[in-house]
Amino acid sequence: MFNINFSEVGSVNVKTSHQGGLTNEQIADLAVDKIASISDQAPPHVRQQAKLFKEQLKVILYHYLILARREERGTIIQALRSSGQKEMAEYIRRL
Amino acid sequence: MAIAQAMCNSFKKELMEGVHNFKNSGGNTFRLALYAEGGGGKSSTTATLGFGTTAYTTTGEILNSGSYAAGGGELTRVDPSVASSTSTATAFTDFADISFTTATITAMGALIYNDSSSGNSAVCVLDFTSNKTSTSGTFTVQFPTADASNAIIRIA
Repeated sequence: MFNINFSEVGSVNVKTSHQGGLTNEQIADLAVDKIASISDQAPPHVRQQAKLFKEQLKVILYHYLILARREERGTIIQALRSSGQKEMAEYIRRL
Repeated sequence: MAIAQAMCNSFKKELMEGVHNFKNSGGNTFRLALYAEGGGGKSSTTATLGFGTTAYTTTGEILNSGSYAAGGGELTRVDPSVASSTSTATAFTDFADISFTTATITAMGALIYNDSSSGNSAVCVLDFTSNKTSTSGTFTVQFPTADASNAIIRIA
């Protein structure tokens, strides 16, 4: 006889935003949660180390997310300027 | 509780009947539909979802908003895996995170179902434990890490 011991459903994480998209911080949280998860059964010192790792990882991801958004915005602004839409370019620059 | 996290009983039976295919290439189409408790639903009837849910239902599903339309969003499948090939281990599968944009949504839970099967067979119910709200914004559902301890669907 074959016995299936358990069938389980994992817990999802929901992030929401208001009047716009997710913030850099929310996206960094999503990335960190995907990269590292901490088991409830892990010894306290391992949990503490993992928590510190996640905090450091979040700082790095947050920095590069800001950079990525800024660079993409710069590319969009330049494309708009090149096509003569200077007002729109200025509007996006001020966002 | 009107929405209770569970793997649907009918899904377990249907696994043995070969109804569901989670493979990335050539697998079935799975969708995630969002549900409200109390206000926010399409009707005044609150969704009742749990282990006994057998199929997608519109009762209590949230209203169309932004990129969310009735029936929910299509999920991107990730090939099922098994944690070890040398000992008894847990098999699991995963989906890519899903986002609904420029949407005003209040949802308490979700249903993953197989859109390819006749009758839109239910897979599992997700309970967000509290109302989650986006206002003209993004509503993102992030699936857990795809491993033997956390993955969205696990069988051992």
